[in-house]
Amino acid sequence: MLVRIFTALLLCHAASSALADDQLLKKQEARIQTIQRIAPSVVCVMPAGGQGGGSGVLISPDGFAISNFHVTSGSGNFMKCGLNDGKLYDAVIVGIDPTGDVALIKLLGRDDFPFCTPGNSDDVKVGDEVLALGNPFLLADDFSPTITYGIASGVHRYQYPADTFLEYTDCIQIDASINPGNSGGPLFDIQGRWIGINGRASFEKRGRINSGAAYAISVNQVLLFIDQLKSGRIVDHGRTEFTVGTADGKVEIQQVSELSDVWRRGMRSGDELISFAGRAITSANDFKNIMGIYPEGTRVPVTYRNDEGVHTVTTRLSPLHQFQKAPQLPTGPPQPEGPPPGEDPDRNPVLLDTKPQPPKQYEHLFEEKVGFTNFYFNQLGIGKYWTPALKAIDTSKSADARAWKLEVTASIKGIDYPGILSVAGTVAGIDAKGLPPAIQNAEQLSGESELPQLYGLLTGAMQWHRLAEQGQDGFSESIYIGSETLLPSRQKVQIIQTRSAGTTCRWGFTNQSRLPVSVDIQFSSGADEARIRFDEWHNELSIPAPRRIAIIDHEQEAPVWITIDAIEIGTMGSSKNGAGE
Amino acid sequence: MNDNCDANINSTVQRLMAATVLLLTLFAPFSSAIQADIQLVKPEVATRSQQSLVKLFGVGAGQLDSYGTAVLITSEGHAVTVWNHLINTGYLTAVTADGQRFEVEVTGTDRSRDLAVIKLQTDSTDFPHVDWKQYASADPGDSVVALSNMFRVAAGNEPVSVVHGIMAAESKLDAGLGRWDLPVQNPVYLIDAITNNSGAAGGLLLSTNGELLGMLGREIRHRGTGVWVNYAVPWKELAPGIDRILKGESNDEDNSTETKSQPIDYRKLTSDFGLTLLPGFLKKTPAYIDRVIANSAADKAKLQRGDLIVMVDETVIQTVDDFRATFTGRRKGQRVSITVSRSGELFATTLIIP
Repeated sequence: MLVRIFTALLLCHAASSALADDQLLKKQEARIQTIQRIAPSVVCVMPAGGQGGGSGVLISPDGFAISNFHVTSGSGNFMKCGLNDGKLYDAVIVGIDPTGDVALIKLLGRDDFPFCTPGNSDDVKVGDEVLALGNPFLLADDFSPTITYGIASGVHRYQYPADTFLEYTDCIQIDASINPGNSGGPLFDIQGRWIGINGRASFEKRGRINSGAAYAISVNQVLLFIDQLKSGRIVDHGRTEFTVGTADGKVEIQQVSELSDVWRRGMRSGDELISFAGRAITSANDFKNIMGIYPEGTRVPVTYRNDEGVHTVTTRLSPLHQFQKAPQLPTGPPQPEGPPPGEDPDRNPVLLDTKPQPPKQYEHLFEEKVGFTNFYFNQLGIGKYWTPALKAIDTSKSADARAWKLEVTASIKGIDYPGILSVAGTVAGIDAKGLPPAIQNAEQLSGESELPQLYGLLTGAMQWHRLAEQGQDGFSESIYIGSETLLPSRQKVQIIQTRSAGTTCRWGFTNQSRLPVSVDIQFSSGADEARIRFDEWHNELSIPAPRRIAIIDHEQEAPVWITIDAIEIGTMGSSKNGAGE
Repeated sequence: MNDNCDANINSTVQRLMAATVLLLTLFAPFSSAIQADIQLVKPEVATRSQQSLVKLFGVGAGQLDSYGTAVLITSEGHAVTVWNHLINTGYLTAVTADGQRFEVEVTGTDRSRDLAVIKLQTDSTDFPHVDWKQYASADPGDSVVALSNMFRVAAGNEPVSVVHGIMAAESKLDAGLGRWDLPVQNPVYLIDAITNNSGAAGGLLLSTNGELLGMLGREIRHRGTGVWVNYAVPWKELAPGIDRILKGESNDEDNSTETKSQPIDYRKLTSDFGLTLLPGFLKKTPAYIDRVIANSAADKAKLQRGDLIVMVDETVIQTVDDFRATFTGRRKGQRVSITVSRSGELFATTLIIP
């Protein structure tokens, strides 16, 4: 009797699920192929000394790889990285983001490294299948990554910082096994697109092993930071100059700094926050979560409601921590890095052969400087964006005293205002028909000296003059910052930040032009920055000049264009007189 | 539930079938034939079910968490959860999927099912909820999905966590925490997803198609191995209990979740464990060790005369009676962690039950 039932069951089972069987086999085959495709990009990150380690993922053929800050933190400036080809590569630290627990390293010795392809982590849904790759428990002596498989258990999660950094905002929660050594390794969707960096887990009564709740930094956050990390700086996250709370199901503005741009636009305590950086906000947690994914200095749109209606303004995020050096890891919440206690550190003989000294041929790839992770990489950025701009300018004939007289036409709300813009090293003025005259003096630079209709034009023109007439000598400092998306154009630019006579400028560069497409200039706190755009540089006039300059009007969030019709090079005295007439 | 052919088979054969399925899992390609559905979790199942999940916040104590999970079962705001310490302490707040907060009262409890039915204090009658009368059962090898407020990852209106796994077995479970024993006598579902986590108790176990399978259990350890067990009380087991509580019939012969078993007596402690305590003349006599017999279990555990026993596993020991009570229902060979205070210093050891 039992045998008959058993046989019947088997037959029934096989028949009813033959179709599913086929589907599953196909799915399994696809999964195997995906894993074979993505595994070469996974990095086993180890300190040169050979104690502990974590994981990482290659993002470009030149060897840039992302890991966790808490993995590279104890690894020194040079580390050893294993790939699934079984080979060990030298690597150097490039940039760190302690707040977001992200680090960028560069593997050395090849220019054809395998690398992963990012997906869109905002498209991940709860229940989506995911693959976590890395080196848990430092299991793989041949560096082939361990694969764990699971689902997205939650999206847009928030995990509190340990101490004040290592904060996971807008992260992906997964139930794939994450164990010590997985840290810094990539999370992929089932199609093999890179969607996150596995960095922490809810460890509790079982100790530092998988608990079914682990968290991956979203790839969208990582992508916002990659250029910043490539600058070799200690990268900071942003914060707003206002706070919010949840009250009666609404997200309310609590406090607004009176020195902030949003205050000047009219945001006040009690207003309702509707969206931030283009995402709807339904709770104070939402807000905290979304703000956490942006680097310091990002300009984001903010939409709020008051008695007069709905307003959209933009604000530049202030720095959160301003670390001058890498912070020490807290001993607080456990992170899944390193081998578990009791693990024999001698089990990998390759590691024992290496000494914690930088390899001779790569020594020059690390340069220490306060405020930077690796100043060498900042110099690379300067060489890529700032030096070509300086070379495009012939400063041999120039002198600080040279003054320019420009015939310009400003187009404001459909009306043309022709006039004269006079620019010298330390002073600039505008005199246009139909507009009041204005003079800006570099020694007492202030937003109030600018024409409200053409806010920032005079200061921007002075910076252009400084660049064109003095070149590098005009600036006491130049730092590569990373990238920024300009608003309202949404043009992505690479930022060089300069200082000159107490003025900080963010120059924007693209690959299309050696000369900058933008400069944003900070006045003293409490005044709006000048947002200048340069269009179409040419050499037809006696100095490098754009055909048009735009200033971005803060109230309208729109450009006001000024065409440059002619330039006359004179002496400072004549220029001054021209402006004063 | 995924095979049409397993309907109408009696329970004896069900076990055989379970064995068959397990057998099948061992031999590829048959292993892949178990699931008619090839998705681990259907996103729409996760999204829909999450609407009925409630995050509970109350009072914790020691290692016991101050938060948990419940599942709405009526439009008036009745919800089911595990009858654990959260329910007993009385100060309970529920946060629904849309982020609204409610005070909670306990409608009724059922000890043999480790079940509590609670009611959100409101006149609202439009709560999203599961249909507690419609449920399925699962067989070993079936894919399952578990939803819970584990680790309090989700706050306010954020959706609770979803994990996936496989039904491993349907079995009686000898488990507990310290001196507390799981009162559920009937078989429970054992699953390979890690659900034995803070705050997960009272969560929902579903099939991949979203059918109700069970309610996630407590944070307890298996008595034999000490392993934290991932289990769920089957919904087919819960349903009659829910029915009686909603009808206002009490199921509870006693109002305590503590076991009523007799504590081990002094004589047995000496004869079996080789351990004599200071006699408990007073109600609050502390658990000092008066004598340890050579080569006894107590001696092997390196316990000494004069040691003050302060903790057994996770239970704090204040009196000799506390200590005797922790040895209720222990099994031979089981390992018990004992912490004693010796000359002002704490000393931890492991006693093997003789």
